[in-house]
Amino acid sequence: MIVPFGHVLMLAGMLFLLGVFCTLTRRNLVMIILGVEVMLNAAAIAFVGAALHWQSLEGQAFVLFIMAIAATEVSVGLALIVYAYRRSGSFDPSSCNLLR
Amino acid sequence: MKWMLFGPETYIFLVAFFFLILSMWRGPHSEKDHVLALALSGLGVVISLACLGAEGLLFAGAYRLDLFSQVFKVALSFGLFLIVCLCANVEEIKRRYRLEFYFFLFVCTLAMMLLVSAQHLLTILLALELSSYSLYILVTLRRDEDMGLEAGIKYFLTGIFASSIMIFGMALLYGATGAVYLQDLAQVLPEVMGTPAAVIGLLLTFGGFFFKLAVYPFHFWVADTYQGAPDQVTAYIATASKVAVIAVVIKLIAAVDQNSTYLIHVLAVLSIASMTLGNLAAMVQKDMKRLLAYSTIAHSGYVLIGILSGGTAGYASAVFYALALLVMKFTVFLVVVVLSPRGKNLEREELAGLHGRSPLLALALMVSIFSLAGIPPTIGFMGKFYVFMGAMDKGLFVLVLIAMINVVVSLYYYLLIIKAAYLGHSWETPPAVHLPQPMRWLTGALIATMMVAGFYPTPLIRLSEAVARSLM
Repeated sequence: MIVPFGHVLMLAGMLFLLGVFCTLTRRNLVMIILGVEVMLNAAAIAFVGAALHWQSLEGQAFVLFIMAIAATEVSVGLALIVYAYRRSGSFDPSSCNLLR
Repeated sequence: MKWMLFGPETYIFLVAFFFLILSMWRGPHSEKDHVLALALSGLGVVISLACLGAEGLLFAGAYRLDLFSQVFKVALSFGLFLIVCLCANVEEIKRRYRLEFYFFLFVCTLAMMLLVSAQHLLTILLALELSSYSLYILVTLRRDEDMGLEAGIKYFLTGIFASSIMIFGMALLYGATGAVYLQDLAQVLPEVMGTPAAVIGLLLTFGGFFFKLAVYPFHFWVADTYQGAPDQVTAYIATASKVAVIAVVIKLIAAVDQNSTYLIHVLAVLSIASMTLGNLAAMVQKDMKRLLAYSTIAHSGYVLIGILSGGTAGYASAVFYALALLVMKFTVFLVVVVLSPRGKNLEREELAGLHGRSPLLALALMVSIFSLAGIPPTIGFMGKFYVFMGAMDKGLFVLVLIAMINVVVSLYYYLLIIKAAYLGHSWETPPAVHLPQPMRWLTGALIATMMVAGFYPTPLIRLSEAVARSLM
C-alpha cells in the first residue's frame, strides 16, 4: 500500500465532516440528502482503505452494500421530497413546523 | 435440513411478498384483508413458537440461531400479531394504501427478525436499514397529509443522518480491528481499546442504535414522529421496533463490553440523561401520543441501566424489561387507538369520563399506566425491580438512586392520565365506546397478563435468565 492507512482515514474523516457540515447547515431538503450521501461515501473510502490494510475482501463487500443503501436512500428521500414539494411548494425543511 | 432453521423469516418474507402481489393484483378490500393479515400473522406466531428450539449457524456464521434470537423472534411476531389486531379499521390510512401498509409491516418485522439473529456487521447494518426504510414509508402514509409528511420527513432526515454516522463508525471499527463478526470483535477489541479510531468508531456505531432506541442525544425524532404517524404505526414503533432494538443493543454490548469501564460510564451518562429528559418533558404534554413518546425515552434510560449492569443478571433484567414493555406499551396504545377521534390525535383531556364510557378500557388503561409507572403488583414493577436489583448487585448505587427519583417524578404525569380517565368530567357526554367481542377478549387477556406476571413472575424471570445465558 503506497498511501499509509492513516492518510486514508484522514481523508475519510475530512470528507465525513464536510458531509456533516452540509447536512447541518443547508436549508434545502435536496442538499441535506446530498450531505448524507457525502458522509456515506466517506465511510466507503474508509472501508476500502481498511480492506487494503487488513488484506481482506469484507471491506470491499461493505462498499457495494453502502452503494445500494445510498441508492435506496435517494429513491425514498426524493419520493418524500417531491411529495413535500407538491404539498407546500418549497424545499425548505423549516416549513415543517406543525407538530409540537 | 438447515432451511427449517430459517422458518419464521422465510414465512414472514413469503407473506410480505404475497401482500405485495395482492396489492398489484386487486384493489383493497378492508375487511377481507384484515382477516387475512390477522390469520397470516397468527400463523407466524405459531411458526416462530415451533422454531423456538432452533440452534445453529447459517450463511458462513453471519447468522446465528440460539435461544436469545428465537425468543425475540417469538416476541416480534407476537407484537406484529397484536398490531394487526388493531388494524380492523385503519381510518388514518387511505383505503388504496392498506395492502401496502400490511406489506411494509411484514417487511419491517422480517428485518427485525434478521436483526436479532445477525452476527456480522454487514448483516446487522442491512437489517437495520431495511426496517428503517419500511418505517419511514409507514409513518408518511397518514391520511392527514401535512402531519404524516412532516413526521415522515423529520424521521427520515434524522434517521439517515444517524445511520450514516453509524456506517462511518463501523468503518472506523473495521479499520481499527479488521474484524467484522461480533465474536471476532469481542476478541480483538480489548487490545485496541486505547486507540482513538476504535473508541470513536465504537461510539459512532452505537449512535445509530441509540437513535433507534431513542436514547438522549438521538431523541429528537421521537415526539414528532409518534405524534404525526398513524396510531397503529406509532404503536408498532413503540412496541415491536423497540423490542428488536433492545435485543440488538444487548447483543452488541455483550459482545464488545469485556470489562471496559469506559463504555459503562458513557452508557450511564446517556441513561441518566434520557430518563431525566424524558420524564421532565412528558409532564407538560397534552397529546397522548406525544406524552407516550417522552415516556418511551425515559424507559430507554431504564433499559440501559439493565444493559450496562452487564453479566447474566443485567442482560436478563433488560430482556425481561423489553418483554414487559411490549405488553404494557401495547395496552396503552390499544386504548389510544380505540378512543382516537377520527383523523385527529387523542388529547389527555379527552379521556375524561372514560370510566363511564367503557369500564374495561379504563381498567386496561389504569393497569398499563400503573405498570409503566412501576407500581406493584404489575409486570412493570417487576421489570424495574429486577433491573434495579441487578444494578445494585454491581454497586451502581448512585445510578439506581437517580433512577428511583425519576420513577417518582414520572408518577406525576402517569397519575394525571388516570385522574383524567377516572375522575375527569366532560361537559358533553360522549357516547359509550363500542368494543367488538374479540377486542374485549384481547383487552382482558392483556390485563390478566400484566397482573399475573406481576404476582408470579418466576417463569418469565427463568426464561429471561436462560435467554441471557445463551448469549454469553
